[in-house]
Amino acid sequence: MPHPPLLELDRVSIRHEGARSATPIDVSFTVARGEVVLILGPSGCGKSTLTLALDGLIPHAVPATLDGTVLVAGLDTSEHPVGALSEHVAMVFQDPDAQIVTGTVLDEVCFAPENQLVAASEVLERAERALKLVGLWSRRAENPDTLSGGGRQRLAIACALAMAAPVLVLDEPTANLDPAGIDEVYAVLRELASDRDHAVVLVEHNLDAAVDIVDRVIVLDADGRLVIDGPARETLRERADELAALGVWLPVSTLAAMRLRDAGVVLDPLPLTPAELGAALDAVPVLPAPLSASSPVRSTALSPRPAVHSPTSPHAAPAAAVSRRLGQGVIEADPVIRARGLSVQRGGRRGPTVVEGVDPARCDARDRARRIGFVFQNPEHQFIAPSVAEELAQSLRVQGTPDAEAEPQIDAMLRRFGLESLREQHPFLLSGGQKRRLSVGTALIAGAPVLALDEPTFGQDRARASELLDMLRTLNDEGTTVLVVTHDLQLVADYASHIAAMHDGRLLAVGPAAEVLAGPLVEQAGLRHPPLARATRGLVRHPSWHGVSRMSQLPVSSAAGS
Amino acid sequence: MSAGGGVLPAGGDHAASGALDPFAAHRSRRPARFLSALNPIAKLAAPLPVMVLVMFSRGIAVPLAFVVFAAAVLLVGARLPGRAVAALLLGTPVAALVLGVTFGVWIDPSSVTGEPAASVTLVSIGDWSFSLAAYLVGLATALRILAILLLSLIAGVTSTGPEFVRSMVQNLRVPYRLGYTALAALRFVPRFGHELEIIRAAHRVRGTDAGRGPVAAVRRALGYAVPLLASAIRHAERVALAMDARAFGAHPTRTERYRSPWRARDTVFVACFLAASAVIAWLTWGR
Repeated sequence: MPHPPLLELDRVSIRHEGARSATPIDVSFTVARGEVVLILGPSGCGKSTLTLALDGLIPHAVPATLDGTVLVAGLDTSEHPVGALSEHVAMVFQDPDAQIVTGTVLDEVCFAPENQLVAASEVLERAERALKLVGLWSRRAENPDTLSGGGRQRLAIACALAMAAPVLVLDEPTANLDPAGIDEVYAVLRELASDRDHAVVLVEHNLDAAVDIVDRVIVLDADGRLVIDGPARETLRERADELAALGVWLPVSTLAAMRLRDAGVVLDPLPLTPAELGAALDAVPVLPAPLSASSPVRSTALSPRPAVHSPTSPHAAPAAAVSRRLGQGVIEADPVIRARGLSVQRGGRRGPTVVEGVDPARCDARDRARRIGFVFQNPEHQFIAPSVAEELAQSLRVQGTPDAEAEPQIDAMLRRFGLESLREQHPFLLSGGQKRRLSVGTALIAGAPVLALDEPTFGQDRARASELLDMLRTLNDEGTTVLVVTHDLQLVADYASHIAAMHDGRLLAVGPAAEVLAGPLVEQAGLRHPPLARATRGLVRHPSWHGVSRMSQLPVSSAAGS
Repeated sequence: MSAGGGVLPAGGDHAASGALDPFAAHRSRRPARFLSALNPIAKLAAPLPVMVLVMFSRGIAVPLAFVVFAAAVLLVGARLPGRAVAALLLGTPVAALVLGVTFGVWIDPSSVTGEPAASVTLVSIGDWSFSLAAYLVGLATALRILAILLLSLIAGVTSTGPEFVRSMVQNLRVPYRLGYTALAALRFVPRFGHELEIIRAAHRVRGTDAGRGPVAAVRRALGYAVPLLASAIRHAERVALAMDARAFGAHPTRTERYRSPWRARDTVFVACFLAASAVIAWLTWGR
């Protein structure tokens, strides 16, 4: 007789308290030992909600109603407490900081088995095995705070492994990590996947990292219905168009091949990884010439007069993306630095920063707001008023604008960002995307020609990230200089006209995006080349493609005409 | 701290706020002397009645004697780093003398007019004069505070937060859910400190730093409270889910890898400490 499935979902619908409809709805699937299952779906389809139901947190700990049955190793989750189910299912959440409870790495790994009343000697054995697997055994005496983001997420995986549960559920485990951290986490997950000891259920929007370890995908549509359940590679290849239409993110290499297909270059089967894309391109005898880095699509963005100069850079930067490796310590000083100016180093200034003819470190809030608008990572941090309209009015009040003149400006800004109907709403009650739009609105209303954003896509799913990026592109086309701090290199490659690469608080390079991406400095800054660049750099047959790093450089079909 | 709600940047750096780290002692343990070998409850229970006694004492003799006694216990019983020894031996008398002036200036001169030392004027500026009696009252207050501080350090410098919790759970039957939840909450402190810094920077950018004086300051503080609370609640919910998922609270007890038993030496320490304190109090009370 075959083993019973480890997880068995039968017509599961989950409705959060206060929500109008259930997401996910009517979902059935089973997971067996040794499987690595990726759950995909557009944002808001209930992927994360579904993971909470897999170990009984829904309905026991989260206010939500669950219809249908979830069986974990044959146990009905609605009848067994989370503590009992945790013997069978271990969870890893998105935010590494919200999972740490104790004061040392070793105590942290021991925490769950201690709660499960495992004998002390066995607890230590499990902890040692788990910590050695994730490479943290030598740091067991340290405070988890001293680990990097990737290190803390590896610790969270070790904590889950120490529970000796056969099912491991990971909800966006790399959404909050920098590229180095993502690599660390996937190195561990790859090892787990190849062991085949666990069943792994993974929710992940970063398909470029996940695609080579998963063997099955489950796809939910926007309403939360299960639409596809099939083998990973075949599904991603053969039903790529269907997935794209659903609003599911595909690997960059697959998207690139789909674009090439429209231009007449057919790669069959569709590549899923940069290596496959590279190999497939090299197998094509003749490729059309790539478009230039500053393709016609982007040329309008280059028209505004240069607005930001720094003493180290004679280059104008109409739309610059600043990349930086997340070094500990640098971050802590950064928000304050950004609040005051742009290039104030920790421990002392080295030369003045000049934005629009003034030094933001030396001028008052009013002068600064007229020249440069700041958008912090979490828009909530910037909200100071009880309503959306007041939030915008406050920015004008700092400028001393009379109320009569302020009203039309506020109305215009609300229209521009689609917030007219939410005028009197409290800013904290807006949706995530609306909050972000309002924070950009408050930064721009004083007329600043420069907009600076701190990791605006951090911890967000791709749909919300692309909504924001499209908004920034529109602003940029209208003449606003946009400065983005990020470590998402495909974003940089696709949107930035100029790049300043930083490492440990030092500027490594400033220049046009294509030049910097082609050089060695990206790796020196501890970053990873964007997937598209990784595919094209090693091409043997098509040297003219070596500089291709952004989607807009790929040849387009004459019919599309964009 | 990030979009989608309250997450630290990937490098989330609390290391700089080491002073707030309740677990820091874990990392730099020095070879132990006798205080480290005692149960944390013994180190708290023995000085506690003495602290109450000091609180209700009058005059300089009682608190001074207990300052010396507590300092002696610390120097003998704990292996302190050189700077801590210097702070104890030099910092304590200086703090007593300086704080004595501060408290002395604050007291009502008419309350000490009956004292003989009231006629000895130390400093006078115009109508106001600072008498020796006022200084002595201030000095006594300063010494009481220092005595209580040093007595509490006997437990504080030789045991960590987790040791206290473990000992309370094992010996005083404090429910482990309470103790370990409190420990988890301690982790929030440096995190919120870091987050507050970011919020303040964000509000400065919005131009809310205009205006001086207490009214503007209160308004600013209220402005920081809303985003800080919103993110605190979200963070707490996430931590709670993560703890539930790891079987916290699933059973009435949990495995203890470290035993924290009450040994004979703990009883001896408490008895000797209280006996010595009684003798000191008897010799100095009312002097």
